Amino acid sequence: MRHGRFATGLLFFSIIALAPAPTPLQIAPARAMDRVASAPSAQVYFHYPVDGLRVPERFTVKIGLKEMGVAPAGVVKPFTGHHHLLIDTDMVPLDQPIPSDYNHIHLGGGQTEVVLTLPQGTHTLQLLLGDHQHVAHQPPIMSKKITIYVR
Amino acid sequence: MGRFASLCLVIILVAMAMEARFEAGAQQPAPARSPSAAKARIYFVDLKDGTTIPSKVKIRFGIENMEIAPAGIIKPNTGHHHLLIDTGLPPADQPIPSDFNHIHFGNGQTEAEITLPAGEHTLQLLLGDHAHIPHNPPVVSEQIRVRVDAATVEKTRTPAPAGASVFLVEPVDGATVGRNVKVKFGVSGMDLAPAGTNKPNSGHHHLLIDTPLPPLDREIPSDLNHLHFGRAQTETEITLAPGEHTLQLLLGDHEHLPHDPPIYSKVIRVRVANAAPEKAAQAAPKEGRQPSPPDAAVYFVYPTKGESIYPNSTIRFGLRNMGVAPAGIAKPNTGHHHLLIDVETPPLDQPLPSDLNHIHFGNGQTEKKITLSSGKHTLQLILADERHIPHDPPVISERIEVFVKTVRKRSRRR
Repeated sequence: MRHGRFATGLLFFSIIALAPAPTPLQIAPARAMDRVASAPSAQVYFHYPVDGLRVPERFTVKIGLKEMGVAPAGVVKPFTGHHHLLIDTDMVPLDQPIPSDYNHIHLGGGQTEVVLTLPQGTHTLQLLLGDHQHVAHQPPIMSKKITIYVR
Repeated sequence: MGRFASLCLVIILVAMAMEARFEAGAQQPAPARSPSAAKARIYFVDLKDGTTIPSKVKIRFGIENMEIAPAGIIKPNTGHHHLLIDTGLPPADQPIPSDFNHIHFGNGQTEAEITLPAGEHTLQLLLGDHAHIPHNPPVVSEQIRVRVDAATVEKTRTPAPAGASVFLVEPVDGATVGRNVKVKFGVSGMDLAPAGTNKPNSGHHHLLIDTPLPPLDREIPSDLNHLHFGRAQTETEITLAPGEHTLQLLLGDHEHLPHDPPIYSKVIRVRVANAAPEKAAQAAPKEGRQPSPPDAAVYFVYPTKGESIYPNSTIRFGLRNMGVAPAGIAKPNTGHHHLLIDVETPPLDQPLPSDLNHIHFGNGQTEKKITLSSGKHTLQLILADERHIPHDPPVISERIEVFVKTVRKRSRRR
């Protein structure tokens, strides 16, 4: 399904690339979802682990949120959202729902911590707040990408 | 290329000219120095080496065996003070420089109010004669080190337009109200903007309950008596104990600092009737308590038990095996935080009180900056459902003790 969409996207994009006049900039907003405003000076961050930490294979990620509130997915309330933990992946497109897979953990029940089991080695973690529809806020509330070492 | 060459030339010329001037300066005979009296001494009257001082501080200078005379007055055994800040002694045979690091007291002042940025500084006094030249031998105090407390640094206040005002729309002065009071705020001549938004002619409301106006040159406290409306809200509901209460509004800028001039309302008095029955509390137990998962727990991420904290601290909450949902959202295995300050655990089968000691986080917040007075306080977290009723079994943290450090306040002496 995702591959199909990706392929269509590619195809679509190549058509645009081939077409002489239209500006690609006009395409993105047409498919983008409306984004909910975030609170000014809101911030999402890791209580645990912190950047560069060595952690056991099984550990609890604890999440802090400043100047906004947590609400389960589906709840429409200004200045709230739910956490998403991105593991070993780059930032997702911000105008689309955040994917839900092994690399993108949704905490749609309003959780503020999650137990992870990761294989030994180096991993990256990043937090991104999503609104009731799993879309990032405007401007997006995301943490810095941290690197951890699973021993 | 040509421009670069000419620029170089200019620099060389300037450098040569400066060198020439320096040489000329060095060749000039040193001006005559006035002799100082034997046993002459200058000193800081009430400042000792290694002390911590507020950012704005009055310093007193003392002198022994010599007299103070304004600059320009030629009289034996006299001089005027110079305060050296963060600098060593200047050349003894030249007039003392006059800049931010060398403050002259040419009118013969023996005290001065200075403002220093946060951090470590050195202070030293040096007497100069009528021509600002140190005496022979120089009369100089010991160099002392002081530390400026960051908490006392004044911030610049945002100007407010003339004629701007804030006022309470509801309740009115002298009203008798129930325990749950709806308070509505109004503002005229300015805009409302959320905290953190630096926009000219704007601010956000602060409701002062049973407290006088705070100092206007610093951040408005955030505590049980000073409620912040940082999202630019224009109304709120508060719960007051029976009796007389005062309410007042104070506008704060993006950094919660009152404007210049400050915009505040007049103080209004309300009376809470003693016999107001709590219908909500009586009706609530019928509905029953929401079950919580057996391994759910709520805890303090910061501070921890027994920790010493600053008066303005962000309290951070942690929640295990449950989710956070704003008040009013009915969803299994969720709830919202309540912070209990300096109170015993309330009854668990009815809605938690909403007052100055029981803070509700009905927007799903997981941290809150609060201001506590210095000394010992107890903190406890309790999760409650969409109707503010604790779960069954209750998800409740340990009641922790914290110690709030004393921060030196700026002296009010003038």
